[in-house]
Amino acid sequence: MNEQEKRTYLEKYQEAKKKGFPFFPDIVFKDAVVSLVVFIVLIALAYFVGAPLEARANPADTTYTPRPEWYFLFLFQLLKYFPGKLEVIGVIVLPTLAILLLFFLPLLDQNPRRHFLKRPVITTAATLAVAGIAFLTVQAVRETPPPAEVTSGDQTAALYAANCAPCHGASITVPPGTNLHQVIAQGKHEGMPAWGADLSTDQIDALAGFILSPGGSQLFTQYCAECHQVPELVASNPLELKRALDEGLTYPPHANAKISDWSAVMSAEERSRLLNFLAAADGERLFATNCSPCHGSSVAFSGSEAELRALISKGGLHLEMPPWQTKLSQTEIETLANYVVDPKAEPSGKNLFDQYCKTCHGERVPTANNLEQARQIIASGRPHQTMPIWGDILTSEQLDALVQYTLQAAQGTSLATGPQLFGTNCAPCHDEFGEGGPNPSLPGDIIPPISSSEFLKTHDDTTLQAIIAQGQPDLGMTPFGTAYGGPLEDTDIEAIVAYMRSWEVNPPAALPPQAQPPASGGTTLSGAEIYAQVCAQCHGLHGEGGSGPALNAPQFQAANTDQDIANTISAGRPSTAMIAWGGFLTSTQIEQLVSFIRTLPSSSASPAVPSFAVDVMPILQVKCVLCHGSLGGWNAASYTSIMTSGNHVPVVIPGDAANSLLAQKLLGTQASGEIMPPSGKLSDSEIQIIVNWINTGALEK
Amino acid sequence: MVAKFANWLDERVSWRQVWDAIFLRKVPKVNWFYTLGSATLFVAVNQAVTGILLTLYYVPTPDHAYDSVQYITTQVPAGWLIRGLHHWGVSAMVVLVVLHMLRVIFYGAYKYPREVTWFSGIILLLVVIGFGFTGYLLPWDQKAYWATTVGTRIAGTPPLIGDYLLRILRGGEDLSAVTLARFFGTHVWVLPATLMLLLGIHLYLVIRIGISAVPKKED
Amino acid sequence: MKEKDEISRRDFMKVATWSIGGLIGLGWGIPAIAYVASPAWKSEQAQVWIRLGATSKVELGVPTLFKVKVKRQTGWIVNEEELSVYVLTEDGRNYIAMSNVCTHLGCRVRWIAEQDRFFCPCHNGVFDQQGNVVSGPPPRPLNQYQVKVEDGQLFILGG
Repeated sequence: MNEQEKRTYLEKYQEAKKKGFPFFPDIVFKDAVVSLVVFIVLIALAYFVGAPLEARANPADTTYTPRPEWYFLFLFQLLKYFPGKLEVIGVIVLPTLAILLLFFLPLLDQNPRRHFLKRPVITTAATLAVAGIAFLTVQAVRETPPPAEVTSGDQTAALYAANCAPCHGASITVPPGTNLHQVIAQGKHEGMPAWGADLSTDQIDALAGFILSPGGSQLFTQYCAECHQVPELVASNPLELKRALDEGLTYPPHANAKISDWSAVMSAEERSRLLNFLAAADGERLFATNCSPCHGSSVAFSGSEAELRALISKGGLHLEMPPWQTKLSQTEIETLANYVVDPKAEPSGKNLFDQYCKTCHGERVPTANNLEQARQIIASGRPHQTMPIWGDILTSEQLDALVQYTLQAAQGTSLATGPQLFGTNCAPCHDEFGEGGPNPSLPGDIIPPISSSEFLKTHDDTTLQAIIAQGQPDLGMTPFGTAYGGPLEDTDIEAIVAYMRSWEVNPPAALPPQAQPPASGGTTLSGAEIYAQVCAQCHGLHGEGGSGPALNAPQFQAANTDQDIANTISAGRPSTAMIAWGGFLTSTQIEQLVSFIRTLPSSSASPAVPSFAVDVMPILQVKCVLCHGSLGGWNAASYTSIMTSGNHVPVVIPGDAANSLLAQKLLGTQASGEIMPPSGKLSDSEIQIIVNWINTGALEK
Repeated sequence: MVAKFANWLDERVSWRQVWDAIFLRKVPKVNWFYTLGSATLFVAVNQAVTGILLTLYYVPTPDHAYDSVQYITTQVPAGWLIRGLHHWGVSAMVVLVVLHMLRVIFYGAYKYPREVTWFSGIILLLVVIGFGFTGYLLPWDQKAYWATTVGTRIAGTPPLIGDYLLRILRGGEDLSAVTLARFFGTHVWVLPATLMLLLGIHLYLVIRIGISAVPKKED
Repeated sequence: MKEKDEISRRDFMKVATWSIGGLIGLGWGIPAIAYVASPAWKSEQAQVWIRLGATSKVELGVPTLFKVKVKRQTGWIVNEEELSVYVLTEDGRNYIAMSNVCTHLGCRVRWIAEQDRFFCPCHNGVFDQQGNVVSGPPPRPLNQYQVKVEDGQLFILGG
């Protein structure tokens, strides 16, 4: 554009301007109208479409197909045409070039003409660019469909989407015979975490049902969710579930509900899908809910799979017990009867039992109340016990799973080996059900229960496995893993942990051994006594600390108000051995405890005169009362009984420890009998406390 | 009363001069295509208003971003509207900006004497794209996270500088809290400041030079 | 005539422009006010029945402390808070549930069994068994919750 052209343009423009309109209101009015239209469109979009918000960002989700916002789609699509090393062209070169071209357009286009028909190059280029971008955008939309939406309202589907889908994608193929519940709860070696800590049992059951029968969850949402929560129904008794579905309206609990006739609403296939969801085709769970009430934790079955299937599905007239008197001698029957009543009393019965009874009764020795009854049953046999016709009740998938599991369990896998291994390796110290007890390798120590729900909740499988494998040398537990020189393979350890997990539902040891709830006794105990029984075990007799923090430390005393201490006692500390004592102690007792804890710093300063309640009683409580309690003889349970009961009264002569039988027995200077306790001498300091107490007058205070 | 106050103010700040210069100037006869620029300006104001409102509740950390957006959308009265306007405003902005640019191209309005207006316009276009890109991550949902992962990875493809570029964008190797914070900062401070500066230049030039006339066949 | 038309057309456009401007302004302004000022009239916490525990845990004639975890939502953050409630019953049928928050300055009162009184440690406020002020600065009795008993479980209305 030369100077002449510039001048001509400006002149023409001035003329056009003169002929034109004032900016306000003529032009502004148009602008306002268009703005209003745009505003209304935006409000309509916000109202009818809304601003979408997908699930929370999940960096672990590698299955998500990202799709950029629509105005970037053309760029996204463009990249697909530049694979590999060419990518940089699509990513950098082309866009940069396009922007530079656009930017310098006024300098590149020196054509003085302005009408678009007079500038064919630019017009064509611009049109082509617009068409190209439109084409690429359309292509992109067609090639990457938007991600499928999660069905709303389906709680289990949401649970699956949040917890499983990130790794497993939309569905999981489960090999038959998998104990799905266990896999979810305990995780797997291949990097699958244990969900047991994060998900409730019900949730895991629901997930198992969902994985095995995804359609069932949808049916549940459609037909049942209005009245039922998922966890309430999953893994319930299949007998009832089946009945509710079959009877529909006439099912008694449904009497007052508006229930459709299920058989009309759902096809048979749908009903079985729903059943598979509610009682997941998970052999162990099915066995536990359906079979174990009669069969115990396992059955011994040596037949073929087909036989077992027939047995389960047809139910049982098969369980007739023959009269053994025709085959066995009188003495053999007698031996067996004795064995059945008390296996320990008649060890020789085991051979007979294995030979004749095991085929039907499995490992589980049937219990008889008395010898007479046992003798009679063995001799004359028993009519069949009816076993439900499971074939009518279970879906075919559930039946398959149950058969698979039963066969496996009968071959002696985890369920059977766990308890056995625990019995030989762990029970000597931890007791039969992990209740704990005196520590044989560390005198004066008490092994806390490992079967309390607190313990099981606060230790995940990995931790338990590590503890078993590596031992706890500080606490006298030797390593059990082969890698650490112990006898157990990894699979053995897993079986033990799996067995321990089976306690979690109904822990055999609810409380630490010394924590007999003082509230239930009805007697009033002082703060000191409660402390000695409940707290001293971890916090030390004088609050000096132990496995729990020191309570007599000035820092502790200063940092906590009475209310803080009371709160901690009442609510406990999550994930520690400090359980919520509020459930066992009354609030008055907690207040007493708090007041007592406040006296700890001063009382521990002068332990010269041992206090009975604080110093002596706890030792006796832990070391003696187990045997010297209500069993007869000397009773170490209370001050009065210590001073007055037993065959050698008085056991304690105040002021004279040398002649007191209690001190003699502890020191090993007694004239007759054994040193006490039988598990080994008390520690010197413990003995010293008791001796001091006797010598200072054996006062009750 | 109003007139009296207007006069009083005019004596002191001469606002009438400004008003006359901006609004009472004469412009050539134009058609409806010429409203696209104003419509873009309108949407920009809409984005500013709703954007400022959104920051009253929004928290740019991975812990809270998603929850606060959800809170705005479902709990705060009119929150759905404010967020909806902001969300759809982006699309409207892009559409209007591009149409506005096409109008300028087809009418040859970027030519003498409006070259500088055009330059500022192109940078404004890039700023708008920058707004879209940085704002997209802020809700911290799946779409936001993964689209931004891919978007920043694209920036990492050029040889030599790519890796550095990627780490500058993300504030580290991975998409993280750092990324969210810098995207937020860019979205609400850097880009708005740039936008205002360029918009000032752009509008000043439009008023100073005047709107181009619709070219006739012989132009 | 034409001139006049032109003028009235302009006037109309002026009025229309200002009206549209006002309309858009309202379109932003009203939601903005609702959006910004809503906490002023929106109470965040709905009152719900909170289960305290079994009625059997309440000792006759002695205020018994119950602690329950309550989910409290502030904005988008859900916190678990502990609510401490003293429950008193004289006959095992009628229960009163008292907040343990002193009505003076909000300290936590404690039941001291020996003295048969609630004490507030901050400014020596003293309340009797029923939560009535005995001495000290508290202006009114301890706050009470509405109580109901269902299936042997105590519930209080709160939030």
